[in-house]
Amino acid sequence: MAMVSKRRVFLERTTILTITVLFLLPVCWLISTAYKPSNQIFSVPPRLFFEPTLDQFRKAFAAFDVFSLVRSSLVISFGTTLLSLLLGTPAGYALARSKSRYAAGFAYFFLAIRMIPAIAALIPFYLLMRDIGLLGSWWAVIVFNTMLNCAFVTWMMFSYFKSLPPDMEEAALTDGCTQMGAFLKVAVPTTRSGMIACALFCMMFSWNDFLHPMFLTTLDSKPISVALLTAYGTKDITWGTLGALAHFSTIPIVLMALFMNRYFVQGATNGVQ
Amino acid sequence: MAQISFQNVSKTYAGGKSAALTDFSLSINDGEFMVLVGPSGCGKTTALRMIAGLEEITGGTLRINDTVANDLAPRERNIAMVFQSYALYPHLTVGENIAFGLKVRGAKPEEVAAKVRETAALLELTEFLDRKPARLSGGQRQRVAMGRALVRSPNAFLMDEPLSNLDARLRGQMRTEISRLQRMRAVTTVYVTHDQVEAMTMGHRVAVMNKGTLQQLDAPRRLYDNPVNMFVASFIGSPPINFMEATLVGRDGTPALQIGPFLLPLPASAERLARRIGGKVVAGIRPEAFKVTTGSTGPGTLSARVLFVEDLGADLLLHLDSGEIAMGHADMIEDERDVMKSSPKLKAMIDGSHRISRDESVSFAIDPGAILVFDAQTGVTL
Repeated sequence: MAMVSKRRVFLERTTILTITVLFLLPVCWLISTAYKPSNQIFSVPPRLFFEPTLDQFRKAFAAFDVFSLVRSSLVISFGTTLLSLLLGTPAGYALARSKSRYAAGFAYFFLAIRMIPAIAALIPFYLLMRDIGLLGSWWAVIVFNTMLNCAFVTWMMFSYFKSLPPDMEEAALTDGCTQMGAFLKVAVPTTRSGMIACALFCMMFSWNDFLHPMFLTTLDSKPISVALLTAYGTKDITWGTLGALAHFSTIPIVLMALFMNRYFVQGATNGVQ
Repeated sequence: MAQISFQNVSKTYAGGKSAALTDFSLSINDGEFMVLVGPSGCGKTTALRMIAGLEEITGGTLRINDTVANDLAPRERNIAMVFQSYALYPHLTVGENIAFGLKVRGAKPEEVAAKVRETAALLELTEFLDRKPARLSGGQRQRVAMGRALVRSPNAFLMDEPLSNLDARLRGQMRTEISRLQRMRAVTTVYVTHDQVEAMTMGHRVAVMNKGTLQQLDAPRRLYDNPVNMFVASFIGSPPINFMEATLVGRDGTPALQIGPFLLPLPASAERLARRIGGKVVAGIRPEAFKVTTGSTGPGTLSARVLFVEDLGADLLLHLDSGEIAMGHADMIEDERDVMKSSPKLKAMIDGSHRISRDESVSFAIDPGAILVFDAQTGVTL
């Protein structure tokens, strides 16, 4: 028996390792290009060992205002996340506690908004933003992404609140809270893990979003995801610069995910049971 | 301190198809421990939640201290409630849980700290004040829930089956503890339970409910001795009372009961039944009223074959073959009625010192004073 289970463990680990390597290989290649001299990037066979250089980073910094790009990405992602949670959480709560039999239907309707192909909404939205003068600003992307994410947050928080028995809020009411007090002091803190999961989702969506800022931002408000594409020049593709820029578009979001994940685990183990 | 009164209160759900409470009237005195008891779905929790302001009232009037409270928000009523699930705030420590109600009502920090300390000491929670509820045992959580109610000086305490999640031994302890605290503070308390032992031991008065209506409101002892109908008779008392179909017969001018082949005389007070002689009734005899007899098997005795013996230590619970006796049952919610129907056995509770085995035939003397007689159609006590 012991032999069988040992072999099983070995097989499991090999499979996991193989899949992980397969997924990470392109990322590793892209990252390694950032440290190679330009003439070695496409050497066949690929060189595993090379003299690392920071040349590509120098080129990237010369061609792009990296600081401004990262700042735009941060503003857009944080703005979207904040606004989506601020609107979506109370909406989800209201639907979860509603006595109407249409409440669940409404919640699914919100989920359906998330399924609309973004490009279909983008064109009228573009005209709308142009007319009210927000086109090209961070606001345009934040509002558009909030529309999509907020619907998802509403649906997700609806499920979270639905799974939470109303006893605790009722206890808060008899303890002297208003309906709003019960929501803010009891319902919100007890679904903290759910809110963090939503935040993480919004953050990743907005950070990696390319299509919407591509249309809605201008040169000085564009985020790093859009800038990555402009690394493709008209005559050639500067792979090294792309690799260097990819660092700045990957590291912040990975750090944020790790940071929030810690809170997520903490939040999840905080509840009763 | 408060008086609470229900006047013809009812609760119907959307569409008016089902009613949780029908024409419910009950007056709870200041300082009284009132127990609402009944099977699940009888409306007792609905009534309790109405007092708290958590359930909308669709008809009638609820008064707290002579103020109509139908539309008051929960926080305007100053009432403390202990929930069946305890409903502790999982993100707050024990101390913060207890302090919550005081803080929300804007008490001074020093006052809050002093009261929390006092309450924690009373409930022996002092060493757990910094723990989160997730790290407490069931009994400790229950005490925190109590503490959250006790720390304030509410108009009334409401308790919704607060002991049902505890194990039997702890439940017994907390039962006396809650009674003691209530007598000490003399705060009006409404206690909801489905456990008739809690109802019998804790309340000054007990309201027995079934199917959304009040069946009987009385002191515990009177519920046991003088139930108004078959439902109350079967709900109060454990193991439950035996119902047997019987005929009222005249015996030397006084009524007696013919139950199958057995003739049971009734006490002198049964004269009032004289005009019903010859009619069908239901006899109710509690298992405790069966006394083993070795003497005559004439009138006033009943014999039956033992099917099964449950040895409870102090007592023996005998399951008897009802033989030619037709068993009756109370009009209850369906689940319980099905259980009663499926085991139509006579039950007798006798002293544990008897040695009785299966298939033995045993004779019992029945005290005429312990026999209850009910109308066969309406189930009302005659």
